[in-house]
Amino acid sequence: MNRHILSYSEAMAMNRRQFMYRLGYGLGGLAFTTMLAQEQARAGVLAAKKQQIEAKAKSCIFLLMEGGPSHIDTFDPKPKLAELHMKEFVREDKFASAMASGKRYYVRSPFKFRKAGQSGLDICENFAHLAECADDLCVYRGAMAQSVNHPTALYHLNTGNQFGGDPALGAWVTYGLGTVNENLPAFVVLPEIAYPQGGSANWSNGFLPANYQGTPLRPAGSPILDLNPPPGVTREEQRQNLDLMAELNRLHQQRYPGHEDLPARLESYELAFRMQSEIPDLIALDKESAETKSLYGLDQPETGDFGRRCLLARRLVEKGVRFVQCYSGGWDSHDFIEKAHSARIRSVDQPIAGLLKDLKRRGLLDSTLVIWGGEFGRSPDNGLRNGGVQFGRDHNAKGMVVWMAGGGVKAGHVIGATDEVGEKAIEVAHPLKDLHVTILRLLGLDDNKLTYFHAGRFKQLSQTGGQVIKELLA
Amino acid sequence: MTFRFPSLLALGGAAIAAFSPMAFAGAAKPMSGAEAKSFFAEKVYPLLEEKCIGCHGGDKQIEADLDMRTREGLLKGGESGQPAMIPGEPDKSRLFKAVQRMGKLKMPPKDRNKLADDEIEILRQWILAGAPWAEIQTNAHPKWSYKEEDIWAFRPAKKISGQNSIDKFIRAKLKEKGLKPAPPADKITLIRRATFDLTGLPPTPQEIDNFVKDHSSRAFDKVIERLLASPRYGEQWGRHWLDVVRYADTDGFSNDYERPNAWRYRDYVIRSFNNDKPYNQFVTEQIAGDEIAPNDPENLVAVGMLRMGPWEQTAMSVGAVTRQLFLDDVTANIGATYLGLTTGCAKCHDHKFDPIPTRDYYRLQSIFAPVQFEARKVPFLPCENTRGFDLEMSRTEEALKNFKGRLQELIRKHNQAVNALIKEKGYNSLKDVPLAERPAKETGLTATDLSVEKTIRKRIEYCERELQRFQPQALSVSSGGLDPKIETAVLHILPGGALESPGEAVTPGLISAVYKSDATPIPATTEGRRTKLAEWIASPENPLTARVMVNRIWQYHFGKGLVETANNFGKMGKRPSHPELLDWLADYFIQHGWSVKAMHRLIMRSAAYQQSANPPNLEAVKKADPEEKLLSHFLPRRLTAEELRDSLLLVSGELNPEMGGPGVFPEINLEAALQPRHIMGALAPVYVPSPTRAERNRRSVYTFQIRTLVHPMLEVFNGANSATSCDRREATIVTPQVFALFNSQNAYDSALAMAARLSAGSQDRARKIEQAWLLAYGRKPTAAEIKLCLKHLEQMTEHHRATKPVDFEFPKKVVQPMVEEMTGELFQFEENWNMDHYEHNLRPSEVSPETRALADLCLVMMNSNEFVYIY
Repeated sequence: MNRHILSYSEAMAMNRRQFMYRLGYGLGGLAFTTMLAQEQARAGVLAAKKQQIEAKAKSCIFLLMEGGPSHIDTFDPKPKLAELHMKEFVREDKFASAMASGKRYYVRSPFKFRKAGQSGLDICENFAHLAECADDLCVYRGAMAQSVNHPTALYHLNTGNQFGGDPALGAWVTYGLGTVNENLPAFVVLPEIAYPQGGSANWSNGFLPANYQGTPLRPAGSPILDLNPPPGVTREEQRQNLDLMAELNRLHQQRYPGHEDLPARLESYELAFRMQSEIPDLIALDKESAETKSLYGLDQPETGDFGRRCLLARRLVEKGVRFVQCYSGGWDSHDFIEKAHSARIRSVDQPIAGLLKDLKRRGLLDSTLVIWGGEFGRSPDNGLRNGGVQFGRDHNAKGMVVWMAGGGVKAGHVIGATDEVGEKAIEVAHPLKDLHVTILRLLGLDDNKLTYFHAGRFKQLSQTGGQVIKELLA
Repeated sequence: MTFRFPSLLALGGAAIAAFSPMAFAGAAKPMSGAEAKSFFAEKVYPLLEEKCIGCHGGDKQIEADLDMRTREGLLKGGESGQPAMIPGEPDKSRLFKAVQRMGKLKMPPKDRNKLADDEIEILRQWILAGAPWAEIQTNAHPKWSYKEEDIWAFRPAKKISGQNSIDKFIRAKLKEKGLKPAPPADKITLIRRATFDLTGLPPTPQEIDNFVKDHSSRAFDKVIERLLASPRYGEQWGRHWLDVVRYADTDGFSNDYERPNAWRYRDYVIRSFNNDKPYNQFVTEQIAGDEIAPNDPENLVAVGMLRMGPWEQTAMSVGAVTRQLFLDDVTANIGATYLGLTTGCAKCHDHKFDPIPTRDYYRLQSIFAPVQFEARKVPFLPCENTRGFDLEMSRTEEALKNFKGRLQELIRKHNQAVNALIKEKGYNSLKDVPLAERPAKETGLTATDLSVEKTIRKRIEYCERELQRFQPQALSVSSGGLDPKIETAVLHILPGGALESPGEAVTPGLISAVYKSDATPIPATTEGRRTKLAEWIASPENPLTARVMVNRIWQYHFGKGLVETANNFGKMGKRPSHPELLDWLADYFIQHGWSVKAMHRLIMRSAAYQQSANPPNLEAVKKADPEEKLLSHFLPRRLTAEELRDSLLLVSGELNPEMGGPGVFPEINLEAALQPRHIMGALAPVYVPSPTRAERNRRSVYTFQIRTLVHPMLEVFNGANSATSCDRREATIVTPQVFALFNSQNAYDSALAMAARLSAGSQDRARKIEQAWLLAYGRKPTAAEIKLCLKHLEQMTEHHRATKPVDFEFPKKVVQPMVEEMTGELFQFEENWNMDHYEHNLRPSEVSPETRALADLCLVMMNSNEFVYIY
């Protein structure tokens, strides 16, 4: 049976027995013949699949601001804090961490805001470039995380499970939609040089097959570990070795004709050999025009790094990659928020605006969902650090901001609200899982149908089911 | 009406009638009042609750204003103003029409949730009978009337009478499907299979030769006994256990700190398997060792099992949440590990599929309420490997000194600036300076200095923790704390799993539906709760424990368990393919003193185990047994990640058989080793490989397991995930495996080492090829294979004669960039990498072009299918 149409993705192609095992496992009574038909129809595990619900967005770029960007200082201004500045704040939490203990005071935002676009979106002045895209943004102020601890909150945002080990959003999306380019990984992560807290579990396939794992393209050194052999090994030498192996494998296969993993494994070597030459082309940005590079801020030291990631994200989406996640680190401004957030905003503002504009002029914004956010928001208050001179903000799970742009979102709107000091969401307030369900919905997936049987139940991204935040949909 | 669940189910002998809707079919036979009420409690209400009340009732707003929680609500109806249900008249009831989905109104709205025909029939019967209603107390869920086949595992194993053997059971099933068993495997295949199964390594050419030449009837028995006596056995089977309990040497999450001597637990597990410790004792020690034998070092180490999961408490975590995380973790994992039950599913609500009410979950959890984490002083045992402690300690101390020196420099820089300031202001010393005028703590330091200082302080902390490795302490627990004593918290049911709104308080208890759980009361005292739990789990009468373990053993031999879901024996798990065989094996296990080795002997002596991987009629098998459950032939399997790495080391002659002791650091992909990793505002330490080849080339089970930095090769070959219990390794085929095994420096190093080993022997190329074949595949090459390889060697030798070899060099300095949260800017942390004492691997420049050509052949062989699959 000729089912091994291999590609990177399928690469990974589960062998048939395993495929059967999984499906059999998952669907219980489904007849064998049905599975067989499905299997043949799908060719590879990562073959493109139809959306479960019709939706505009076909791919997703998630811009993840690691550390917890402050909603109060970016997209959710709180003039009330200016009045309350340095007045004592009394926390009512029953469960507080050591971080939130001691005497605390309200802290005003050091940033100025302006109204941008026809929609008059409130946006921190430092986002000068992004302000030009204000009418494309749907700013959501009602999201609520659960944990105030970075790794758990980051796992929660990325996987729906605070404790890690479960599949990432990108893994679920590629599980649901497959990929239209089987020669590239379907879920790509573009990390900072330093990996985020909690490490690669943030892009794990969890209990889903390894095919759905996020592939990090490392910004320095080899983009993929061991993509190339050690220095001194030539391509000819590798080719000859591969040829010998193919011969030996063929002789071996004659002894075990019933063993269906054998051809798949052989093919994965050929695919890997091809990838060695294809990946460098993919990530080389030299074919991009100077104008495009400059649009993303590649020509400036402050923006070059994140700009490269954003530009690469567009290239990947253009080539059919389903889910791209770009990290920007360092948003954890407990102290000196004016300086630190200014620098962070500076580094991402132009690249993000460049990405939105570039997607738009290429007609890709409609079919791409762009998401911006961090693992939680920040508190309206702070302890008196160093005599109150280094104003910053602590973690806040109950108040945060996430914005979306592109396919299917209600552009030019602000949805939901936090209270007058930004401490917690009070309007259109939803737990993160509802945001997850909404993201899936925007990509044409139904969280309740996107399930995988594991450890005794059908699991889903929202863990126990959630609801679509309808206000965010166009 | 109160519906006490255990009375219905927990009595092992009493059969539960499988419910058939047909039993109620036909309105002709009216139900009695009691019948009707129990029908409502057992069938109707659960259905309403599962399918309707989520929206039409409950705590949230009620959809369409229809409250289905009460009979009155249904009679009144919702927004439509019409009753939802008319007693006695199903066809006129909107509820009944909606679930039939014939008209405009379809309920539940999602197709996925629609009612099955038999469920619709239940509603029809109920309305027809006048819609009798009863008060429901959801102490134990009334929907729990189970089909016998779904709760088989909760019931005692059947005593299987008569003369039995594994093959009798296997052949009976094959015969039913008209299949014949495969013929016996050839001897080389068999010894390779057996050696990998029991030791995780390939047999040596000598071992193969001995077996092939031994024509006695006991030849294979001798092999089994030799392998069971090998210390490699415990390493292999210990690794299986470590998968299930999620062993790692670090905490996970952000700091991912090293745990105090977790390795002692790893070695305890390996020892236990090697000593064939009775499984019931093994279980007891891990659950309650500290209570049962508080002075026995083995027992104090064993209970480390309870805290094997990821766990971290920082200034940013909420203590109560972290504690609850532990309690949930241990409750779920005791269930999965020993009982094959998904107890974790009952955390937020009564278990949807298995008879485990939330109450039972929190009662089980209460057994662990007194547990306190301890790094207990436990003297090293003579059998524990403490070799080289002095040397390793001195290395850590040297690193510590280094970092402390760098810190001092920064402090000096700061002090100088402070002193200059003091002088400038005309004071003599800092204490003369008025508080308001005192210089800031960053005086004299640049932003980079401050970032560097933070990372250095973190490094110092890690080094200090590393020094704990050499102290006689154990990752252990106590009941109620050692000093001071901590009062045991009373646990509450947490509806929805929410810590913020505790429900009713519970006392410690067991899973009520399991046979004889009521015969083991759990004391409410601080001490002794776990002792009783262990007693119950390790009892021959517990219907799950022995079955779960024999199934695990079976799975690791055959690649697939009799129950394919080794951690889930519940309704949603797979049914046993051979239930009687499972019960017979469980009984055999108990009758043979819970000896794991006795099970290996029993299994490996069977014809089913010794048969060929090629079925006599492949097409017939595909048709009759598509899921390959019936063992008509032996299922080939890919080597696990560890087996693969260890085999590379063995065939290259580099495997160091040393056992036990603190984790070692093999060479990993250099970029992964130096990958900057963010930990709480600073950079994690770089991964430094152990300096000697001997240390680096220990078996994989002895490598230091960092949760947030997994050995890249072990990771891509489906290594165990240390966050969730791994009951079975996957074997997906993905291209990163090719990169790791065909491109990596590690792979090239192994191939070169093997080539050098071969070069030391005969100079005849064909002889070398033969030797390579014996080492890697356990057989002699065919003439065709020799021909292919000779040609390859010739070509490659020519290539290497013409090509200058490039040796791998470590960098002398490591520079790691990260965004500093204080400034939002990038900073770089630099450190010198002192590799002077590093014993490097064999380098290409140190061998001849012929050997380098041979290394190409070895690399090919190590990647070939024959090497990575076992038949």
